[in-house]
Amino acid sequence: MNNAHPGLPEFDYIKPATLPEASQFLAQHTGESRPFMGGTDTIVRMRDGFWKDKYLVEVKHFEGMTSIHFDPAKGLTIGAAAPMNQVAAHPDVRKYYPLLAEAANSVASYQLRNRATIVGNICNASPAGDTTGASIVLDGVLSVHGVNGVRTEPLKNFFLGPGKTVLKPGDIVTSISYPLPADGWAGKYIKLGRNALSDLSIVGVTVLGYPDATAKSGFRFRIALASVAPVPFIPTAAEAVLAEKPISDAVIDEAATAAMDACTPIDDVRSSARYRKLMVRNLTRKALAEVWAKIK
Amino acid sequence: MDKLQKSKDKIPAPVGESITRVDAREKVTGSAIFTDDIQFGPGLLFARIKRSPYPHAKILKIDASKALALPGVKCVVTGKDFPGYTGLYLQDRQIFATEKTRFVGEPVVGIAATSEELAEKALDLIEVEYEPMAAVHDPEYGMSKEAPLIHPDLGKYTVANYIFPKAGTNISNHFKIRKGDVDGAWKNCAVVVEHRYQIPHVQHVPIETHIVIARAEDTGKVTLWSTSQSPFAQRNLIAKALGISHKDIEVIAPYVGGGFGCKAGASMESLVVAIAMKVRGRPVKLRLTREEEFYTAFVRQGLVAYFKMGCDKDGMLLAMENKFYWDSGAYTEYAVNMTRASGYSSSGPYDVPNVKTDSYCVYTNHPVTGPMRGFGMPEMHSGLEQCIDELAITMKMDPVEFRKLNCVQGGDIIVTGMVMHPTGLTECIEKAAKAIDWGKKEKPSAPHKLRGKGIACMWKAPAMSPNAGSSAWVELNEDATLTVGIGGQEIGQGTHTVMSQLAAAALGVPVEHVRIAKPIDTDVSPYEWQTVASRLTWSMGNAVVNAARDARQQILEIVAKAWKEDPEDLDIVNGNVISYKSEESIPLHDIVIYGMPKENYNGWIGGPIVGRGSFMPTYVTGLDAETGQGERAVVHYTTGCQAVEVEVDTLTGRVEILKAVGAFDVGKAINPELVKAQMEGGFGMGLSTAFFEGLKLKDGVLQNPSFVDYRIATTVDMPAKIESIIVEVPQDDGPWGARGVGEHSMVPTIPAIANAIFDATGVRVGSPPYLPEKVYLALVDAGVVK
Amino acid sequence: MSTHKINVKINGGLEQVEVPSNMTLLSMLREKLAMTGTKNGCAAGECGACTILLNGEPVNSCMVLAVEADGAELVTVEGLAHEGELEVIQKTIIDKGGVQCGFCTPGVLISAKALLTRNPNPSEADIREALVGNLCRCTGYVRIVEAVQAAAEQQKGAA
Repeated sequence: MNNAHPGLPEFDYIKPATLPEASQFLAQHTGESRPFMGGTDTIVRMRDGFWKDKYLVEVKHFEGMTSIHFDPAKGLTIGAAAPMNQVAAHPDVRKYYPLLAEAANSVASYQLRNRATIVGNICNASPAGDTTGASIVLDGVLSVHGVNGVRTEPLKNFFLGPGKTVLKPGDIVTSISYPLPADGWAGKYIKLGRNALSDLSIVGVTVLGYPDATAKSGFRFRIALASVAPVPFIPTAAEAVLAEKPISDAVIDEAATAAMDACTPIDDVRSSARYRKLMVRNLTRKALAEVWAKIK
Repeated sequence: MDKLQKSKDKIPAPVGESITRVDAREKVTGSAIFTDDIQFGPGLLFARIKRSPYPHAKILKIDASKALALPGVKCVVTGKDFPGYTGLYLQDRQIFATEKTRFVGEPVVGIAATSEELAEKALDLIEVEYEPMAAVHDPEYGMSKEAPLIHPDLGKYTVANYIFPKAGTNISNHFKIRKGDVDGAWKNCAVVVEHRYQIPHVQHVPIETHIVIARAEDTGKVTLWSTSQSPFAQRNLIAKALGISHKDIEVIAPYVGGGFGCKAGASMESLVVAIAMKVRGRPVKLRLTREEEFYTAFVRQGLVAYFKMGCDKDGMLLAMENKFYWDSGAYTEYAVNMTRASGYSSSGPYDVPNVKTDSYCVYTNHPVTGPMRGFGMPEMHSGLEQCIDELAITMKMDPVEFRKLNCVQGGDIIVTGMVMHPTGLTECIEKAAKAIDWGKKEKPSAPHKLRGKGIACMWKAPAMSPNAGSSAWVELNEDATLTVGIGGQEIGQGTHTVMSQLAAAALGVPVEHVRIAKPIDTDVSPYEWQTVASRLTWSMGNAVVNAARDARQQILEIVAKAWKEDPEDLDIVNGNVISYKSEESIPLHDIVIYGMPKENYNGWIGGPIVGRGSFMPTYVTGLDAETGQGERAVVHYTTGCQAVEVEVDTLTGRVEILKAVGAFDVGKAINPELVKAQMEGGFGMGLSTAFFEGLKLKDGVLQNPSFVDYRIATTVDMPAKIESIIVEVPQDDGPWGARGVGEHSMVPTIPAIANAIFDATGVRVGSPPYLPEKVYLALVDAGVVK
Repeated sequence: MSTHKINVKINGGLEQVEVPSNMTLLSMLREKLAMTGTKNGCAAGECGACTILLNGEPVNSCMVLAVEADGAELVTVEGLAHEGELEVIQKTIIDKGGVQCGFCTPGVLISAKALLTRNPNPSEADIREALVGNLCRCTGYVRIVEAVQAAAEQQKGAA
């Protein structure tokens, strides 16, 4: 039986003055506290009774948490608390990382995107996350402030399972940085929901492609799939096909089929494994074709 | 005399005019008061309900002592405190469960505390011990001998004399149609089509959930503030269940934020009254969360339907055999009538000489089902209109021509033996077909898309008790403005606007002078059966017109006496009494309160004007229990038709509506734009149920109790335009010929879409919802895509 | 549980409110300030009935903690009309028949106003996308979209 309450349970909203204070507090209250960012997952889960934290620790006010900065030499850095609408509307994001804007714009509704954040989406570690795939193929790196100081976390190996990441008690992600993408690149995010827009993804396909002399085919493709495995899924066999064989419709077909064969979706309240697999094939094929048309 | 006659024949303004809604300004400024907006001050208590987590279980023990010990908790109520039975057509329901619970979410304990948060916390301290029992999760199983009995005392329940429960079973009603000789007709059929459909439960999803406040005084007076479609029915049901006199319970019902049937009758209101009676002296509020709204108030019945139908070599329908197994949930006090209503309309809008229908209302351990827009007709037409389509296509006949050949006309003897009144169904079909460019096949907009058109028609009668009545009063003020008293609710359909128009037209005053007395308050408002069944324009409209005419007649008689003229030579036009004979004229102000002076002020004539009117159909007859035949099963039918053009994306299965058309015979559109708004809105809800909706129940537990996974149509799922065509074949006893249309526009939507998908792809998608997944996999299984 | 004294500007007027940590902005408006124009449809950020402007941007107020509004400027449906004169979008939604039960209307108006502020010349697709987070069960959305188009036209004309 659903346990959603009319309102939120009791908790204390804490607003530490500094990041070290915040990490310290979180570490001291492991299992009963969490950083409070856009709230789009936190508020829902607390009302549902799934998360029972006694403390929500405000982190949006720290310096740099909401800034969006592009350095033509280094790449893009997005503060962890920058709302998705701001990211998607930022002229540098639209010009240099349009795939990220496309992914962000596919999330929920305009109202929710004024609160939801890319870092929050990533740290929530739902396999359905829409901006996770784009962040992976763009080689996003998280900057994490923990009890032992600052460190970086690449997204590869970041996700351990639905809702589980490598983050430790006391960790506060402060930003995500994306290096400059390769020359001549193009990307595409195709999201399939039940409604024409705004739903959670039944299947999400992120494709990024670029000319690469080190690949036999002359091109390198990165693919990330949402909602087809416990974590964001990288169909490496499909990527390999595209690196090896000269790109053609048939090869794109082969890669899409390889992606379909490799992923392990489940039957759940939203969709079935059978449909998800077929959609992985169809939508990967479509995304690859669109990217290929742009980069060839 | 000429002028007077002309004025009597003309349809008076503003009937037929699309005046602006009278409640619009309140609603766009946020000042419109809905039930949760009413302020009660610091004395307000909040209730929360402890609910059963099992679909079917014995209650062994309830211990609320720890909860009661919490400071701020005021009382706890269980079934023992109020064990009376209640129900609209069948009294099968207690306010709180007593010996056993029958659905997940059933109220077991009620608690009131000084805050909603505290009441919610206190629920966890209430200990209930259950013994789970075997449960029923589908109606066909529920009817079988193996199924556990959900209501062992069914035979003892009080029941209306046109409902037939079967004691000792899970069948709470069995409605039969035996018209003609179906068994003998099959051999004369050139084509016979047979199909099974399974229509899932859906929920009404009003954007405003159920909210109720109740206060019980030591004087014995109970007051209820309720987001209700049925304030008088609630008063009646609660009065009977709790043994209160009708004069001692007052139901106040403000604007409703969407009802669609779920706020009809009584569902959770009795809980709050019971709690308030235990608390005494303080108002108690209960608000359903969105999650609770999805499965603890009312949901729509699920249906397993078997259709068999056949036509002769010329395409004339000869026979229909229908079996409806209604999954009606744990309590069917309302659903039993829907079982009947679907049965007596089970031929669909067609002239069929031989019909055999068995419509069963079956108890299951699913959420409680109640009335939802269409009252069985959307569920039934979902399958029936697809079968009609298939018959036509198998006969190599155009589906539009097939429908025109067979559709019901005035004078036909319909499925219950009633003679059909004049209806514009043929006109609706023709106009819808023309508007969608029927017969023209367009090229798809992209190579991976398939394009097609579909049509479906419908009929529905207001489903009510045979003697459901309306009443109204009209009271004039010193400045000649007037107040109209009604008992029906504004739930978005435009009641206040249309009733203002009718009163103004019948009295002869500008519509700006009319005010509807609100909120509806059973202590001071006149009786109205319920705001359901698309009945208000017709039934309550008649009462309002009668009340306005009564006031008009009183005024004319007073002025006639003062002027020494004949009332027949007088009229009220634009707020003035005029004489066609003497050409005298006097404005209404003052005389409607103070009367008119006699000559030389030697006395007075008249006084305060209060007009009264009521309407109740007196001609509905019973139906034979074995054959369902009777002289007049229903008051009338509204008929109509929808057509859509779709494109199917063969990569994902997503269906897009390119164009949508609806045509409905409303008799007379009192406010054409409001009528069109109902046609659009109904199509929208129909589209939403066609594409997305269904309660996913697993062992009686709802898996999608929120908007996250119970999807409804959003802005981007709708077509750019919905063309709405008004057809007007007058209803003999409707105000200026009007009949209702609120429900009808969601009835043919699912089959129109399904038929269009077939036209586009050659694949029949069967039972809704037609999610992209369903369509895609159907295409794969049919070999249309890989 | 801790409470917080916050200062917030609502529809141009300054308010000082004491709010518990776990109170949402929606609850603060409705329960603390009796500003009942903003509605509760789901308390989960899905239906949009609670949409208000927070520092000029539309948000679901059920998904914001009241304490976060300290120092912020809010606009609710009650703040759209000025001295009895309705704003253009309020007028057009009436004219186009985009109001039925009225429960989704406050949220729709706020979302529409925000759209027209950031994009005075929206396409039909822009309008639909901007309002995808405002669920309506009554109208089928067609007249709501027409109302926003009409408001955009009128505001262009007036400019």
